[in-house]
Amino acid sequence: MSSWIPLWLHKLGSPPTFYRFAGTLQPWATALALLLGVVGLYGGLVLAPADYQQGDAYRIIFIHVPSAWMSMFIYGVMGVASFIALVWRIKLAEVVAMESAPIGAAFTFITLVTGSLWGKPMWGTWWTWDARLTSELVLLFLFLGVIGLYHAFEDRRQGARAAAFLAIIGIINVPIVHFSVNWWNTLHQGSTVNVFGPSKISGAMLWPLLTVTLATKFYYVASLCRRARTDLLDLESGKDWVRRIAEDEAGR
Amino acid sequence: MNRPALTSACAAMLRRDLTLAWRRRGDIAMPVLYALIVTTLFPFALGPEDTLLQRIAGGVVLVTVLLAMLLALDAMFSSDIEDGSLEQLVLAPQPLALMLGMKILAHWLATALPLILIAPLMAAMLHLPGAVIPVLLLALALATPLLSLLGAVLVALTAGTRRSGMLLALMLLPLCVPAVIFAAGAVAAAQQGLPWLAPVAWLAAALVLAVVLAPLACAAALRIALDA
Repeated sequence: MSSWIPLWLHKLGSPPTFYRFAGTLQPWATALALLLGVVGLYGGLVLAPADYQQGDAYRIIFIHVPSAWMSMFIYGVMGVASFIALVWRIKLAEVVAMESAPIGAAFTFITLVTGSLWGKPMWGTWWTWDARLTSELVLLFLFLGVIGLYHAFEDRRQGARAAAFLAIIGIINVPIVHFSVNWWNTLHQGSTVNVFGPSKISGAMLWPLLTVTLATKFYYVASLCRRARTDLLDLESGKDWVRRIAEDEAGR
Repeated sequence: MNRPALTSACAAMLRRDLTLAWRRRGDIAMPVLYALIVTTLFPFALGPEDTLLQRIAGGVVLVTVLLAMLLALDAMFSSDIEDGSLEQLVLAPQPLALMLGMKILAHWLATALPLILIAPLMAAMLHLPGAVIPVLLLALALATPLLSLLGAVLVALTAGTRRSGMLLALMLLPLCVPAVIFAAGAVAAAQQGLPWLAPVAWLAAALVLAVVLAPLACAAALRIALDA
Protein backbone atom coordinates (compact mmCIF):
# COMPACT_ATOMS: atom_id res chain seq x y z
CA MET A 1 0.00 0.00 0.00
CA SER A 2 1.58 3.24 -1.06
CA SER A 3 1.63 5.96 1.53
CA TRP A 4 0.76 8.86 -0.73
CA ILE A 5 -3.01 8.53 -0.25
CA PRO A 6 -3.05 9.15 3.54
CA LEU A 7 -0.37 11.81 3.09
CA TRP A 8 -2.46 13.52 0.40
CA LEU A 9 -5.55 13.37 2.63
CA HIS A 10 -3.63 14.92 5.51
CA LYS A 11 -2.39 17.71 3.25
CA LEU A 12 -5.90 18.25 1.94
CA GLY A 13 -6.99 19.07 5.49
CA SER A 14 -4.94 22.25 5.44
CA PRO A 15 -6.94 25.27 4.24
CA PRO A 16 -4.57 26.56 1.49
CA THR A 17 -4.23 23.09 -0.09
CA PHE A 18 -7.96 22.56 0.03
CA TYR A 19 -8.54 26.03 -1.38
CA ARG A 20 -6.44 25.20 -4.45
CA PHE A 21 -7.88 21.67 -4.76
CA ALA A 22 -11.48 22.95 -4.54
CA GLY A 23 -10.62 25.64 -7.06
CA THR A 24 -9.59 23.05 -9.67
CA LEU A 25 -12.40 20.64 -8.79
CA GLN A 26 -15.21 23.17 -8.83
CA PRO A 27 -15.40 24.00 -12.59
CA TRP A 28 -15.30 20.30 -13.52
CA ALA A 29 -18.05 19.47 -11.05
CA THR A 30 -20.15 22.39 -12.29
CA ALA A 31 -19.71 21.33 -15.92
CA LEU A 32 -20.58 17.70 -15.15
CA ALA A 33 -23.61 18.77 -13.09
CA LEU A 34 -24.89 20.95 -15.92
CA LEU A 35 -24.26 18.32 -18.60
CA LEU A 36 -25.79 15.44 -16.65
CA GLY A 37 -28.65 17.65 -15.49
CA VAL A 38 -29.56 18.66 -19.05
CA VAL A 39 -29.24 15.08 -20.37
CA GLY A 40 -31.15 13.59 -17.45
CA LEU A 41 -33.94 16.15 -17.53
CA TYR A 42 -34.26 15.79 -21.33
CA GLY A 43 -34.46 12.03 -20.87
CA GLY A 44 -36.95 12.33 -18.06
CA LEU A 45 -39.19 15.09 -19.35
CA VAL A 46 -39.12 14.29 -23.09
CA LEU A 47 -37.83 10.80 -23.89
CA ALA A 48 -39.29 8.74 -21.04
CA PRO A 49 -42.80 7.39 -21.70
CA ALA A 50 -45.79 8.73 -19.76
CA ASP A 51 -47.02 6.67 -16.82
CA TYR A 52 -50.05 4.47 -17.62
CA GLN A 53 -51.88 5.76 -14.55
CA GLN A 54 -50.49 9.17 -13.66
CA GLY A 55 -49.84 10.44 -17.18
CA ASP A 56 -47.25 13.18 -17.37
CA ALA A 57 -47.64 14.26 -13.75
CA TYR A 58 -45.28 11.53 -12.58
CA ARG A 59 -42.37 13.35 -14.27
CA ILE A 60 -41.89 15.43 -11.15
CA ILE A 61 -40.07 12.44 -9.66
CA PHE A 62 -37.05 13.38 -11.78
CA ILE A 63 -36.67 16.39 -9.50
CA HIS A 64 -38.35 15.11 -6.35
CA VAL A 65 -36.54 11.80 -5.86
CA PRO A 66 -32.97 13.04 -6.51
CA SER A 67 -33.58 15.99 -4.17
CA ALA A 68 -34.93 13.68 -1.47
CA TRP A 69 -31.91 11.40 -1.80
CA MET A 70 -29.62 14.42 -1.64
CA SER A 71 -31.35 15.79 1.47
CA MET A 72 -30.49 12.61 3.36
CA PHE A 73 -27.07 12.24 1.75
CA ILE A 74 -26.06 15.80 2.66
CA TYR A 75 -27.28 15.33 6.21
CA GLY A 76 -25.13 12.22 6.35
CA VAL A 77 -22.09 14.11 5.03
CA MET A 78 -22.77 16.90 7.51
CA GLY A 79 -23.04 14.37 10.35
CA VAL A 80 -19.76 12.66 9.45
CA ALA A 81 -17.96 16.00 8.97
CA SER A 82 -19.39 17.20 12.30
CA PHE A 83 -18.09 14.10 14.04
CA ILE A 84 -14.63 14.62 12.53
CA ALA A 85 -14.77 18.30 13.48
CA LEU A 86 -15.65 17.55 17.10
CA VAL A 87 -13.26 14.65 17.61
CA TRP A 88 -10.17 15.80 15.72
CA ARG A 89 -10.86 19.55 15.72
CA ILE A 90 -10.12 19.86 12.02
CA LYS A 91 -11.06 23.32 10.82
CA LEU A 92 -11.86 22.12 7.31
CA ALA A 93 -14.36 19.55 8.63
CA GLU A 94 -16.19 22.37 10.42
CA VAL A 95 -16.30 24.36 7.19
CA VAL A 96 -17.58 21.37 5.19
CA ALA A 97 -20.26 20.57 7.78
CA MET A 98 -21.50 24.15 8.12
CA GLU A 99 -21.42 24.92 4.40
CA SER A 100 -23.30 21.69 3.65
CA ALA A 101 -26.23 22.74 5.83
CA PRO A 102 -27.72 25.46 3.56
CA ILE A 103 -27.38 23.23 0.48
CA GLY A 104 -29.07 20.38 2.33
CA ALA A 105 -31.82 22.68 3.54
CA ALA A 106 -32.39 23.84 -0.05
CA PHE A 107 -32.67 20.24 -1.33
CA THR A 108 -35.04 19.35 1.54
CA PHE A 109 -37.17 22.38 0.71
CA ILE A 110 -37.27 21.42 -2.99
CA THR A 111 -38.28 17.88 -1.99
CA LEU A 112 -41.16 19.14 0.12
CA VAL A 113 -42.36 21.67 -2.47
CA THR A 114 -42.23 19.28 -5.45
CA GLY A 115 -43.85 16.56 -3.34
CA SER A 116 -46.74 18.82 -2.43
CA LEU A 117 -47.10 20.01 -6.05
CA TRP A 118 -47.39 16.37 -7.08
CA GLY A 119 -49.63 15.51 -4.13
CA LYS A 120 -52.33 18.01 -5.09
CA PRO A 121 -53.41 16.27 -8.36
CA MET A 122 -52.54 12.72 -7.21
CA TRP A 123 -53.60 12.54 -3.56
CA GLY A 124 -55.97 15.48 -3.69
CA THR A 125 -54.09 17.36 -0.98
CA TRP A 126 -51.03 19.57 -0.71
CA TRP A 127 -49.99 18.07 2.58
CA THR A 128 -50.82 15.13 4.79
CA TRP A 129 -49.37 14.16 8.16
CA ASP A 130 -47.81 11.01 6.82
CA ALA A 131 -44.68 9.55 8.41
CA ARG A 132 -42.41 10.14 5.39
CA LEU A 133 -43.62 13.70 4.87
CA THR A 134 -43.42 14.60 8.54
CA SER A 135 -39.94 13.17 9.02
CA GLU A 136 -38.73 15.05 5.94
CA LEU A 137 -40.19 18.24 7.41
CA VAL A 138 -38.36 17.48 10.65
CA LEU A 139 -35.18 17.10 8.57
CA LEU A 140 -35.73 20.63 7.23
CA PHE A 141 -36.12 21.95 10.79
CA LEU A 142 -32.91 20.17 11.79
CA PHE A 143 -31.03 21.81 8.92
CA LEU A 144 -32.48 25.19 9.88
CA GLY A 145 -31.61 24.59 13.53
CA VAL A 146 -27.99 23.82 12.61
CA ILE A 147 -27.78 26.96 10.43
CA GLY A 148 -29.41 29.09 13.13
CA LEU A 149 -27.18 27.82 15.91
CA TYR A 150 -24.05 28.32 13.78
CA HIS A 151 -24.90 31.97 13.21
CA ALA A 152 -25.99 32.65 16.80
CA PHE A 153 -22.43 32.63 18.11
CA GLU A 154 -20.02 35.55 17.95
CA ASP A 155 -17.08 33.23 17.51
CA ARG A 156 -17.52 31.27 14.26
CA ARG A 157 -15.48 28.24 15.26
CA GLN A 158 -17.34 27.92 18.55
CA GLY A 159 -20.63 28.23 16.67
CA ALA A 160 -19.47 25.55 14.24
CA ARG A 161 -18.66 23.18 17.09
CA ALA A 162 -22.01 23.75 18.82
CA ALA A 163 -23.91 23.31 15.55
CA ALA A 164 -21.87 20.19 14.76
CA PHE A 165 -23.00 18.73 18.07
CA LEU A 166 -26.62 19.45 17.16
CA ALA A 167 -26.10 17.86 13.74
CA ILE A 168 -24.85 14.68 15.40
CA ILE A 169 -27.86 14.55 17.74
CA GLY A 170 -30.19 15.03 14.78
CA ILE A 171 -28.65 12.28 12.65
CA ILE A 172 -31.06 9.88 14.36
CA ASN A 173 -33.73 11.30 12.04
CA VAL A 174 -32.03 10.16 8.81
CA PRO A 175 -32.82 6.42 9.23
CA ILE A 176 -36.34 7.42 10.32
CA VAL A 177 -36.84 9.29 7.03
CA HIS A 178 -35.40 6.40 5.05
CA PHE A 179 -37.31 3.57 6.71
CA SER A 180 -40.53 5.48 7.46
CA VAL A 181 -42.28 3.88 4.47
CA ASN A 182 -41.42 0.41 5.76
CA TRP A 183 -42.09 1.00 9.46
CA TRP A 184 -45.44 2.73 9.11
CA ASN A 185 -48.32 2.19 6.76
CA THR A 186 -47.96 5.46 4.87
CA LEU A 187 -49.68 7.22 2.02
CA HIS A 188 -46.25 7.88 0.52
CA GLN A 189 -45.24 4.95 -1.66
CA GLY A 190 -42.51 2.53 -0.70
CA SER A 191 -39.10 2.46 -2.34
CA THR A 192 -39.10 1.62 -6.02
CA VAL A 193 -35.41 1.88 -6.84
CA ASN A 194 -33.26 -0.71 -5.09
CA VAL A 195 -29.50 -0.91 -5.00
CA PHE A 196 -29.66 -4.59 -4.03
CA GLY A 197 -32.10 -6.54 -6.15
CA PRO A 198 -34.22 -5.52 -9.12
CA SER A 199 -35.87 -2.10 -9.21
CA LYS A 200 -39.60 -1.85 -9.79
CA ILE A 201 -39.25 0.86 -12.42
CA SER A 202 -38.91 0.69 -16.18
CA GLY A 203 -35.42 1.17 -17.56
CA ALA A 204 -36.62 4.05 -19.74
CA MET A 205 -37.55 5.92 -16.56
CA LEU A 206 -34.66 4.66 -14.44
CA TRP A 207 -31.73 5.99 -16.47
CA PRO A 208 -32.89 9.64 -16.47
CA LEU A 209 -33.58 9.36 -12.74
CA LEU A 210 -30.09 8.09 -12.01
CA THR A 211 -28.55 10.68 -14.34
CA VAL A 212 -30.29 13.53 -12.56
CA THR A 213 -29.22 11.99 -9.24
CA LEU A 214 -25.61 12.07 -10.41
CA ALA A 215 -26.11 15.66 -11.55
CA THR A 216 -27.34 16.68 -8.10
CA LYS A 217 -24.33 14.96 -6.52
CA PHE A 218 -21.96 16.93 -8.77
CA TYR A 219 -23.92 20.11 -8.10
CA TYR A 220 -23.46 19.52 -4.38
CA VAL A 221 -19.73 19.02 -4.82
CA ALA A 222 -19.45 22.17 -6.94
CA SER A 223 -21.56 24.26 -4.59
CA LEU A 224 -19.74 22.97 -1.53
CA CYS A 225 -16.33 23.75 -3.10
CA ARG A 226 -17.39 27.27 -3.92
CA ARG A 227 -18.93 27.91 -0.49
CA ALA A 228 -16.01 26.32 1.35
CA ARG A 229 -13.50 28.45 -0.59
CA THR A 230 -15.34 31.65 0.29
CA ASP A 231 -15.70 30.55 3.88
CA LEU A 232 -12.02 29.63 4.16
CA LEU A 233 -10.95 33.04 2.83
CA ASP A 234 -13.18 34.68 5.40
CA LEU A 235 -12.09 32.42 8.26
CA GLU A 236 -8.37 32.69 7.51
CA SER A 237 -8.46 36.34 6.49
CA GLY A 238 -5.45 37.27 8.63
CA LYS A 239 -3.19 34.54 7.25
CA ASP A 240 -0.35 34.90 4.78
CA TRP A 241 -1.78 32.68 2.04
CA VAL A 242 -5.02 34.66 1.94
CA ARG A 243 -3.10 37.92 1.79
CA ARG A 244 -1.10 36.58 -1.13
CA ILE A 245 -4.30 35.64 -2.97
CA ALA A 246 -5.74 39.08 -2.26
CA GLU A 247 -2.58 40.74 -3.58
CA ASP A 248 -2.71 38.60 -6.75
CA GLU A 249 -6.34 39.57 -7.27
CA ALA A 250 -5.54 43.24 -6.71
CA GLY A 251 -2.58 43.07 -9.12
CA ARG A 252 -4.75 41.79 -11.97
CA MET B 1 -13.68 10.35 44.90
CA ASN B 2 -15.46 8.41 47.62
CA ARG B 3 -19.17 7.76 47.54
CA PRO B 4 -20.42 9.95 50.43
CA ALA B 5 -18.73 13.02 48.97
CA LEU B 6 -20.46 12.44 45.63
CA THR B 7 -23.93 11.95 47.11
CA SER B 8 -23.54 14.98 49.36
CA ALA B 9 -22.40 17.04 46.37
CA CYS B 10 -25.50 15.91 44.47
CA ALA B 11 -27.72 16.74 47.43
CA ALA B 12 -26.09 20.15 47.83
CA MET B 13 -26.58 20.91 44.14
CA LEU B 14 -30.24 19.89 44.30
CA ARG B 15 -30.83 21.86 47.49
CA ARG B 16 -29.15 24.97 46.07
CA ASP B 17 -31.18 24.96 42.87
CA LEU B 18 -34.47 24.28 44.64
CA THR B 19 -33.76 27.05 47.15
CA LEU B 20 -33.00 29.47 44.31
CA ALA B 21 -36.21 28.45 42.57
CA TRP B 22 -38.20 28.86 45.80
CA ARG B 23 -36.79 32.34 46.40
CA ARG B 24 -38.15 33.37 43.00
CA ARG B 25 -41.58 31.83 43.29
CA GLY B 26 -43.01 34.23 40.75
CA ASP B 27 -40.94 32.57 38.04
CA ILE B 28 -42.44 29.19 38.98
CA ALA B 29 -45.96 30.59 38.72
CA MET B 30 -45.39 32.04 35.25
CA PRO B 31 -45.54 28.81 33.17
CA VAL B 32 -48.54 27.62 35.20
CA LEU B 33 -50.41 30.84 34.52
CA TYR B 34 -49.42 30.71 30.88
CA ALA B 35 -50.73 27.14 30.53
CA LEU B 36 -54.02 28.06 32.22
CA ILE B 37 -54.51 31.10 29.99
CA VAL B 38 -53.80 29.13 26.80
CA THR B 39 -56.21 26.40 27.87
CA THR B 40 -58.89 29.00 28.59
CA LEU B 41 -58.47 30.49 25.12
CA PHE B 42 -59.25 27.25 23.26
CA PRO B 43 -62.99 27.11 24.09
CA PHE B 44 -63.27 30.76 23.04
CA ALA B 45 -61.55 30.13 19.73
CA LEU B 46 -63.24 26.81 18.87
CA GLY B 47 -66.64 27.28 20.46
CA PRO B 48 -67.81 25.60 23.68
CA GLU B 49 -69.00 22.35 22.08
CA ASP B 50 -68.37 19.48 24.48
CA THR B 51 -67.68 16.81 21.88
CA LEU B 52 -65.11 18.89 20.00
CA LEU B 53 -63.32 19.99 23.19
CA GLN B 54 -63.31 16.42 24.47
CA ARG B 55 -61.66 15.18 21.31
CA ILE B 56 -58.84 17.73 21.36
CA ALA B 57 -58.42 17.98 25.15
CA GLY B 58 -55.53 15.52 25.49
CA GLY B 59 -53.51 17.05 22.68
CA VAL B 60 -54.17 20.62 23.80
CA VAL B 61 -53.03 19.89 27.36
CA LEU B 62 -49.88 18.17 26.10
CA VAL B 63 -48.92 20.92 23.67
CA THR B 64 -49.71 23.63 26.21
CA VAL B 65 -47.52 21.97 28.82
CA LEU B 66 -44.76 21.59 26.23
CA LEU B 67 -44.92 25.29 25.30
CA ALA B 68 -45.04 26.35 28.93
CA MET B 69 -41.92 24.27 29.59
CA LEU B 70 -40.22 25.82 26.58
CA LEU B 71 -40.94 29.22 28.12
CA ALA B 72 -39.07 28.27 31.29
CA LEU B 73 -36.32 26.26 29.60
CA ASP B 74 -34.37 29.32 28.53
CA ALA B 75 -33.64 30.24 32.14
CA MET B 76 -32.16 26.86 33.06
CA PHE B 77 -28.52 27.95 33.00
CA SER B 78 -28.74 31.68 32.31
CA SER B 79 -28.38 32.98 35.89
CA ASP B 80 -25.58 30.50 36.59
CA ILE B 81 -23.72 31.70 33.52
CA GLU B 82 -24.16 35.33 34.49
CA ASP B 83 -22.69 34.93 37.98
CA GLY B 84 -20.03 32.47 36.86
CA SER B 85 -21.13 29.57 39.03
CA LEU B 86 -21.49 27.35 35.98
CA GLU B 87 -17.78 27.72 35.22
CA GLN B 88 -17.06 26.70 38.80
CA LEU B 89 -19.26 23.66 38.28
CA VAL B 90 -17.29 22.74 35.16
CA LEU B 91 -14.05 23.02 37.14
CA ALA B 92 -15.39 21.09 40.13
CA PRO B 93 -13.91 17.63 40.82
CA GLN B 94 -17.34 15.98 40.68
CA PRO B 95 -18.43 14.62 37.28
CA LEU B 96 -20.11 17.44 35.38
CA ALA B 97 -22.76 15.16 33.86
CA LEU B 98 -23.99 14.09 37.29
CA MET B 99 -24.14 17.67 38.56
CA LEU B 100 -26.03 18.77 35.46
CA GLY B 101 -28.38 15.83 35.95
CA MET B 102 -29.16 17.24 39.39
CA LYS B 103 -29.72 20.69 37.91
CA ILE B 104 -32.09 19.23 35.33
CA LEU B 105 -33.94 17.35 38.08
CA ALA B 106 -34.29 20.55 40.10
CA HIS B 107 -35.51 22.41 37.03
CA TRP B 108 -38.06 19.67 36.32
CA LEU B 109 -39.28 19.79 39.92
CA ALA B 110 -39.62 23.57 39.77
CA THR B 111 -41.31 23.93 36.36
CA ALA B 112 -42.82 20.65 35.16
CA LEU B 113 -44.21 19.35 38.44
CA PRO B 114 -46.53 22.35 39.00
CA LEU B 115 -47.71 21.93 35.41
CA ILE B 116 -48.47 18.25 35.97
CA LEU B 117 -50.33 19.18 39.17
CA ILE B 118 -52.64 21.58 37.34
CA ALA B 119 -53.01 19.31 34.29
CA PRO B 120 -56.17 17.64 35.74
CA LEU B 121 -57.70 21.09 36.06
CA MET B 122 -56.78 21.95 32.47
CA ALA B 123 -58.16 18.61 31.29
CA ALA B 124 -61.38 19.16 33.22
CA MET B 125 -61.78 22.62 31.68
CA LEU B 126 -61.84 20.91 28.28
CA HIS B 127 -64.20 18.14 29.49
CA LEU B 128 -61.73 15.29 29.21
CA PRO B 129 -63.45 12.20 30.71
CA GLY B 130 -62.29 11.52 34.27
CA ALA B 131 -61.23 7.98 33.44
CA VAL B 132 -58.62 9.25 30.95
CA ILE B 133 -56.99 11.74 33.33
CA PRO B 134 -54.74 9.14 35.06
CA VAL B 135 -53.38 8.12 31.63
CA LEU B 136 -52.82 11.78 30.78
CA LEU B 137 -50.94 12.28 34.04
CA LEU B 138 -48.84 9.17 33.43
CA ALA B 139 -48.02 10.34 29.90
CA LEU B 140 -47.11 13.80 31.23
CA ALA B 141 -45.01 12.31 34.03
CA LEU B 142 -42.97 10.46 31.39
CA ALA B 143 -42.96 13.09 28.64
CA THR B 144 -42.02 16.17 30.71
CA PRO B 145 -38.73 14.77 32.09
CA LEU B 146 -37.90 13.70 28.55
CA LEU B 147 -38.47 17.26 27.37
CA SER B 148 -36.46 18.68 30.27
CA LEU B 149 -33.54 16.39 29.44
CA LEU B 150 -33.61 17.07 25.69
CA GLY B 151 -34.15 20.75 26.33
CA ALA B 152 -31.19 20.88 28.71
CA VAL B 153 -28.86 19.62 25.97
CA LEU B 154 -30.07 22.33 23.60
CA VAL B 155 -30.00 25.05 26.25
CA ALA B 156 -26.41 24.04 27.00
CA LEU B 157 -25.59 24.36 23.28
CA THR B 158 -27.02 27.88 23.14
CA ALA B 159 -25.43 28.85 26.47
CA GLY B 160 -22.77 30.99 24.81
CA THR B 161 -25.17 32.95 22.61
CA ARG B 162 -27.06 36.14 23.32
CA ARG B 163 -30.43 35.56 21.66
CA SER B 164 -31.45 31.96 22.10
CA GLY B 165 -35.22 31.97 22.67
CA MET B 166 -36.42 31.49 19.09
CA LEU B 167 -33.51 29.28 18.24
CA LEU B 168 -34.30 26.98 21.14
CA ALA B 169 -37.86 26.47 19.88
CA LEU B 170 -36.56 25.73 16.38
CA MET B 171 -34.12 23.14 17.67
CA LEU B 172 -36.40 21.54 20.25
CA LEU B 173 -39.34 21.12 17.89
CA PRO B 174 -37.92 18.23 15.81
CA LEU B 175 -36.54 16.44 18.85
CA CYS B 176 -39.76 16.58 20.87
CA VAL B 177 -42.00 15.30 18.05
CA PRO B 178 -41.71 11.62 19.11
CA ALA B 179 -42.51 12.46 22.74
CA VAL B 180 -45.62 14.38 21.70
CA ILE B 181 -46.72 11.62 19.31
CA PHE B 182 -46.44 8.85 21.89
CA ALA B 183 -47.93 10.84 24.78
CA ALA B 184 -50.87 12.01 22.65
CA GLY B 185 -51.21 8.50 21.25
CA ALA B 186 -51.57 7.04 24.75
CA VAL B 187 -54.23 9.60 25.72
CA ALA B 188 -56.14 9.12 22.47
CA ALA B 189 -56.05 5.33 22.84
CA ALA B 190 -57.33 5.54 26.43
CA GLN B 191 -60.09 7.88 25.29
CA GLN B 192 -61.25 5.36 22.70
CA GLY B 193 -61.08 2.49 25.16
CA LEU B 194 -58.11 0.89 23.41
CA PRO B 195 -55.01 -0.51 25.15
CA TRP B 196 -52.66 2.41 25.83
CA LEU B 197 -49.72 0.59 27.34
CA ALA B 198 -47.59 0.40 24.17
CA PRO B 199 -47.10 4.17 23.62
CA VAL B 200 -46.49 4.64 27.35
CA ALA B 201 -43.86 1.89 27.22
CA TRP B 202 -42.21 3.65 24.26
CA LEU B 203 -42.17 6.90 26.23
CA ALA B 204 -40.67 5.14 29.24
CA ALA B 205 -38.00 3.54 27.05
CA ALA B 206 -37.12 6.91 25.53
CA LEU B 207 -36.98 8.43 29.00
CA VAL B 208 -34.61 5.73 30.25
CA LEU B 209 -32.36 6.33 27.25
CA ALA B 210 -32.48 10.09 27.81
CA VAL B 211 -31.74 9.81 31.55
CA VAL B 212 -28.55 7.95 30.72
CA LEU B 213 -27.39 9.90 27.66
CA ALA B 214 -28.76 13.43 28.00
CA PRO B 215 -26.66 14.52 31.03
CA LEU B 216 -23.53 13.31 29.24
CA ALA B 217 -24.54 15.12 26.06
CA CYS B 218 -25.44 18.19 28.12
CA ALA B 219 -22.00 18.21 29.73
CA ALA B 220 -20.29 17.87 26.35
CA ALA B 221 -22.46 20.64 24.88
CA LEU B 222 -21.75 22.95 27.82
CA ARG B 223 -18.01 22.40 27.46
CA ILE B 224 -18.30 23.42 23.80
CA ALA B 225 -20.43 26.46 24.57
CA LEU B 226 -18.26 27.77 27.41
CA ASP B 227 -14.99 27.06 25.61
CA ALA B 228 -14.53 30.59 24.32
